[in-house]
Amino acid sequence: MSALTIPPKRRRRSIITRVGWPRFLQEIGMLAPAVVLMTVFLITPFLLSFWTAMTNQPLVPRPTPVRFVGFNNFLRILSDDLFWTSLWNVTRFTLWVLPVQCGLAFLTALILNQKLPFRNLFRGMFFLPAITSMVVVCVIWGTLFQYPTGPLNQILASLSGGHIQPIDWLGDPNWAMFSIVLLSAWQAYGFQMIIYLAGMQGIPDELYDAARIDGAGRWGRFWHVTMPGLRPTHVFVLVITTIQAFKLYTQVAILTQGGPKSSTETVVHYMVRAGFEEQKLGYASAVSVILFLIVLVIALIQRRLMRRFDV
Amino acid sequence: MSDLALSPRKPAAPLNGYRIVQSISVFVIALVVISPLFMLFIASLKDDRFQILADMGSFRAFWVDNPTLNNFREVGNFAGELAFGRYLGNSLLILFSTVSLGLIINSMAGFILAWGSLPGRALILSLIIALYVIPQESIIMPLLIIVSRAGLSDTFTAQILPFVASPLYTFLFYQFFAQLPKELYEAASIDGASIFRTWWSIFMPLSLPALATVSILMGIEAWNQYLWPILITQTDYARPISVAIATFFGQDSIFWDRAMAASVLMMIPILVFYLAFQRWFISSFVGSAVKG
Repeated sequence: MSALTIPPKRRRRSIITRVGWPRFLQEIGMLAPAVVLMTVFLITPFLLSFWTAMTNQPLVPRPTPVRFVGFNNFLRILSDDLFWTSLWNVTRFTLWVLPVQCGLAFLTALILNQKLPFRNLFRGMFFLPAITSMVVVCVIWGTLFQYPTGPLNQILASLSGGHIQPIDWLGDPNWAMFSIVLLSAWQAYGFQMIIYLAGMQGIPDELYDAARIDGAGRWGRFWHVTMPGLRPTHVFVLVITTIQAFKLYTQVAILTQGGPKSSTETVVHYMVRAGFEEQKLGYASAVSVILFLIVLVIALIQRRLMRRFDV
Repeated sequence: MSDLALSPRKPAAPLNGYRIVQSISVFVIALVVISPLFMLFIASLKDDRFQILADMGSFRAFWVDNPTLNNFREVGNFAGELAFGRYLGNSLLILFSTVSLGLIINSMAGFILAWGSLPGRALILSLIIALYVIPQESIIMPLLIIVSRAGLSDTFTAQILPFVASPLYTFLFYQFFAQLPKELYEAASIDGASIFRTWWSIFMPLSLPALATVSILMGIEAWNQYLWPILITQTDYARPISVAIATFFGQDSIFWDRAMAASVLMMIPILVFYLAFQRWFISSFVGSAVKG
């Protein structure tokens, strides 16, 4: 018995003798709040979601016991056309928002990284949409998108001399997702801009000077110094934007409720509808497990790519 | 050659085609970014809801003849149907509790992970990094079960406590503390300072950039929560302003004047918060996250 208990005892004694009881308890006390809260509110629900996903758990407790249903929820999700529509929609959204949002962020960062009067003012100003709540953004863009006489339609009409017919931005299934892309990119690009700025400032000035001595012009420096130096930043920005895009919810829930004709239905909106409005918590948990797996795959791809570029 | 001898930052170049293009693009981007926000502020000062929409397509959107605070008076109540004063107060309470608790709890944990002597720190750290992958959206359904079974639905606690401890912010603090010089820590322990004191009086005062970054990121997150409060609040008691503004969209025709005023109410606090911290924020933000 004593032989079995020696190893842990010895280890514990060694840290206590090394730092003493008061310090040991202090360290535990300082680490514990974060660990406990993360365990209760992050790890537990995460593990629970895998269990709930295999049951027919309702939102409000019912007298009938919760039944284990195996992979039934997953099978039903995968045979639901609306789920595939929502998955296709967020993919479409991602493919649109990546070039628009990251492109805008990259261009702005390129400009702001140069010597420019009022540079810091612009930098602070261009980040303002990113601190604006999505709900407020929806109020603003809800007015801009008004059909048929909203500001965007009027601008289009006057630019084209009346040749472009007013667009029903949020009411036309062909346009609704694109409109969501516009307002989302406008709202969130500030984050990507700052990440790009940080990346650009990480490129040593000596590299630019060396390129200049070698006779590289503005374009040469851009292609052979800036772009290679930003490779990890590009990967990081593309991945966080993709993950963000797959979680698309608020703007859709407020402005279109997934419509018209399910053209803006998203995975998270589908999940909330199943879990909250239809009260099928087990089913919704299965959707959330699928969402987690998607995000996990994207994050793993990022890790692969980052490792390759860091070498 | 001569310009190599100068500092890396060159004096402003003479006006040429490139600089003209550059200035025009900054101006255009500023217009696209700022004009919608500016329009919102102007419109909230207009009394006539039909005029607001009529003005939108022209330059009148950027001008108000006789500004009035009537819209704010109308929505700024603390009770009744348009109790945005109350919702704003709720949101502020949630914001300050989440951020202040979050700064303390995450920085304490980050500090112990960086400088403590507990066994298993490396394991906890890698676990925390792994947890970062879990999106909030994918745990929100089981979290709803846990929180409502604990009898916390429709409370402030339910909107604060789950978001206080965060893998990302603990990691950011860990990273920041770990790169501070070892001598700092050693000097404190030679002077006989306890580890709690070392954290609070030596390391925290040096962490202004990290504190500002985490404050802004957490603040934006707490202020803009939308999905979770919809699920967890049923009455006005703890309802945040984001959810209240969204109810404007449920009506047949939106009262844009009120919606605009409520939106401006919602923007002002986070704007002040941002302006207070942004000096440190932009310089330190994600310079670290890109590396990690």
